[in-house]
Amino acid sequence: MSVAIQTIAELRGVTKIFGDVVAADSLDLAIGEGEFLSFLGPSGCGKTTALRMLAGFEKPTKGEVLLDGQVVNDLDAHRRPVNMVFQHYALFPHLSVSDNIAYGLRQQRPRIERKIISAKVEQALETVRLGGFGPRRIWEMSGGQQQRVALARAIVNEPKLLLLDEPMAALDRKLRKEMQIELQNLQRQLGITFVLVTHDQEEALSMSDRICVMEGGRIVQVGSPRELYDTPRSRYVAGFVGTSNFFDATVTDASPNHITVQMASGRQLHGTPEIPIDTGQAVCVSIRPEQIALTRAERAAEAALPVTIHNRIFLGEHTEYLARNEALGDFLVLVPRQAELNEGTFNAGEQAFVSWDEGALLILEK
Amino acid sequence: MTQRGRNALLLTPAGLWLLVMLVLPLLVVFVFSFGERGAAGGYVPAFTLEQYANLPARWTAFKNTLILAPLGTIAALLIAYPLAYFLAVRCAPRWRTSMLILVIVPFWTSILIRSYAWIFILGGRGLPALLETIGINDVRFINTPFAVLVGIVYGYLPLMVFPIFVSLDKLDKRLLEASADLGSTPWRTFRQVTLPLSTPGVATGCMLVFILLMGEFLIPAILGGGKVFFVGNALVDLFLQSRNWAYGSAVAMTLVIIMLITVSIYMKFISRLGGHRDDVSLM
Amino acid sequence: MTKDNGTISKQKFMQELRRYQKGSVTRRHFLGVTGLGMATTVLGTAMPGLLPRPAFAAGDIGDRVILATWPNYHDEMNFEAFTEATGAHVQVNVFGSNEEMLAKLQAGGSGWDVFVPTNYTITTYVGEDLIIPLDTSKLPNYDAGSFEQRFSDAGSVDGTLYAVPKNWGTTGFAVNTSKLDGAPTPTTWKEFWDLTMAGYSGRTMVHDYQLTTIGNALKYFGYSFNSVEEKELADAEKLLLDAKPHLFAISSDYQPPMRNGDAWMTMCWTGDGKQLNVDMPEIAFVLGAEGGELWSDYYAIPKGAPHMDAAYALIDFLLNPEVNAKEVLAHGYPSADARTNALLPKELLEDPILYPAAELLNALEFGAAATLTDPNRAELLARFKSA
Repeated sequence: MSVAIQTIAELRGVTKIFGDVVAADSLDLAIGEGEFLSFLGPSGCGKTTALRMLAGFEKPTKGEVLLDGQVVNDLDAHRRPVNMVFQHYALFPHLSVSDNIAYGLRQQRPRIERKIISAKVEQALETVRLGGFGPRRIWEMSGGQQQRVALARAIVNEPKLLLLDEPMAALDRKLRKEMQIELQNLQRQLGITFVLVTHDQEEALSMSDRICVMEGGRIVQVGSPRELYDTPRSRYVAGFVGTSNFFDATVTDASPNHITVQMASGRQLHGTPEIPIDTGQAVCVSIRPEQIALTRAERAAEAALPVTIHNRIFLGEHTEYLARNEALGDFLVLVPRQAELNEGTFNAGEQAFVSWDEGALLILEK
Repeated sequence: MTQRGRNALLLTPAGLWLLVMLVLPLLVVFVFSFGERGAAGGYVPAFTLEQYANLPARWTAFKNTLILAPLGTIAALLIAYPLAYFLAVRCAPRWRTSMLILVIVPFWTSILIRSYAWIFILGGRGLPALLETIGINDVRFINTPFAVLVGIVYGYLPLMVFPIFVSLDKLDKRLLEASADLGSTPWRTFRQVTLPLSTPGVATGCMLVFILLMGEFLIPAILGGGKVFFVGNALVDLFLQSRNWAYGSAVAMTLVIIMLITVSIYMKFISRLGGHRDDVSLM
Repeated sequence: MTKDNGTISKQKFMQELRRYQKGSVTRRHFLGVTGLGMATTVLGTAMPGLLPRPAFAAGDIGDRVILATWPNYHDEMNFEAFTEATGAHVQVNVFGSNEEMLAKLQAGGSGWDVFVPTNYTITTYVGEDLIIPLDTSKLPNYDAGSFEQRFSDAGSVDGTLYAVPKNWGTTGFAVNTSKLDGAPTPTTWKEFWDLTMAGYSGRTMVHDYQLTTIGNALKYFGYSFNSVEEKELADAEKLLLDAKPHLFAISSDYQPPMRNGDAWMTMCWTGDGKQLNVDMPEIAFVLGAEGGELWSDYYAIPKGAPHMDAAYALIDFLLNPEVNAKEVLAHGYPSADARTNALLPKELLEDPILYPAAELLNALEFGAAATLTDPNRAELLARFKSA
């Protein structure tokens, strides 16, 4: 995690209500200078509203939006030193590529000299690898190229915050991968703070320094991709960041750092808590597929459960198995190629055991 | 059937229609314009340029038309644009349909009847009487060019509002946000984004209204009291009253030629102004 | 309803009449004075298929007859009676001016069986071979002797009968006397024009119709209403151009501005004059002492009429004095038929506007065919209007 040195933007208790819909509910978040932060969540979770309040398109119903330490609630979008890459780029169809990029610079008062503008535009075109495309018309550009024009149009203004609203949604998978890398490089190269909104966990995990997971207008957890993956606080976050196996359970012993839960089947398991836990509490336990070992012999591990193999999907570096325990239900197990070579391939209908190491079982909010 | 054959088939009805309803009549008018008036009116075949030489006798009609048609177009545009802008951009969607219907409703009534209503509004017991109550005396509206202008703008407003509304409505509102995001004030956003992107609508609206105004005769007849004379009125008189078909044809041909010239200049101007692909949709 | 119709007074008159029939305050007063208003004319019923057909037809004249006429110029009940008697439905086409009628007949294929031309157009129709001589044996109700001759003359051309009289009227001017500031009511066309360019500046209307507007300008100089003399027309044009800046409007739709006070004086047809005077006694109807126009409408049959027998049957039916009296009561225009007049109320026949004094009437002229078709007069009016 790259530690935020200085806060450049901040949401303080920000709430936004549209009619009777609470789109954003008391958001508190500090964005550090030079950071790459992503808002992650399904549609309607409030991530876009948060972004639009940073941009100045929406005014918070309650709370404060700060930029550079100043409350900017009443500052119109066109006065904020913030630029956005829109979901469908929103390029001006009546202007050429370079006129699109120069648009922001031309709005500045006092006016910037023409020569400087064209130099900056050229440079921005080079930065997004579109040198020579300046005189083109927007409709002559491919989707990927338009995306870069949109990017150039924003970064040429050297904004304090670059807001990206699902910028990759319209690109195909391969192009998206490329763009993800390019965006990351660009962010490092320019040192501009990036705030990305996405519903794609892979995109968020691969690019961000920090991810802010949202649900129903609230921020549910903020942290580095690794933190969110390893120590999710809720079933929602664990489910959204990567895949996991979830089971309902009740806490029977809430000793610090060592929790015992009882599964619906009556089986007792031990796990690590990510939240304060009381005895008797109904919780959710989570175990990541790649942390489960699949063996033919019962291992002397923390827990070993007998399962029947139901399905197998070969994924190259991994093989994904669906294994069923009579009492607990289905387990998704991800077996690395090497482990599979050691143990041999399991066939459907075969009997086997699943097991995991101490501490792999996470106790989460239900 | 070949693609070409199918295309030909698609165009046949329109082609025939144009041939019978436009090309042939225009040809007839063209031929008539070189003829002479019969003793009891009508047309007698001849080849003479006399009718064209006599055109200056209708100079006032041409002058009035060429002043009031563009003026009416501009006035309609100045009123229609803000209205269309409000409907397309500002109006809450749940009100939009009813507001649009309100714009159309007057079209359900004949323009004749609507223009008659203006006789009473602009007549002595209408607006002038109202003005008298605040001390402004002896104002005359009815039977003046101003009254004709009012009638024109009123009658043709929907024709101007709709194309502009459509172009503003399909304008991607995110472009306005993008412009604001890039530091443009609302006014500059309007000038640099909204206005250029609505030129196709403006062009279509102006064209529709202008062309129709060039041939207008009803509103000047009703609200101009026969004193504000358009080419259309001259034509009605020539064909229905004095039945001088040859001269009428010459006047009509001249009007057609003037319209062709103005419209083609206008099209050139507009296509240069906009220059982006959507402008092809003009007309 | 538009501006270019010469004989519009008929339409306007009936419009006003209907307005009062709809129950405005002056209704009873209006009906009492004029003796009009039993009937409600309904025009344009062009859907014979929808109408109930009689069980049998009185004669084999076909199922319809097509009549081209002026607006509000008939009693619809008479048409119904005709249909009942003959089985032929009357389909009515309404026109605004003689010029329009002429244009339609000249273009051919009008489909009309009977139409209603005004006196001065008949020789043109004959000259253009557009109407047929009438066979009086098929018109038993036509009695040439019962018509006042001046109103039936124009129906015959070179001794051949082409048209039979319908109704007649005059053209004078209406003046709002309350604006005269005590000056006497003008009685001549000279006073009409002088007043226009003086005290009534901006308040006078003239017809949008060359026959009357030029004719009444000619009267200023004492020339014939029908003059086509170059010099005389030049004088009239000068007068018209001088007067134009003082005009309120050039329009045949003069009743509304006269009523609301925008206009104080206008050229005016009999029916309108009567109507204005009834509602606003301060508006006087004046026949210029120098003369002016007298007109008479006729029934005629166009060449190639598709339902010839029905055409004769309809004309004959409408010439029946009892039927004709109902017509007059419905539309309010005088008839020239002594048999019809004998059936009309005395107040109507004694009305000075509808039936002017003989000496005023004698000064009037019928519009001439040459006047109507004269290209110079048409062009003069156009110059006047577009000046």
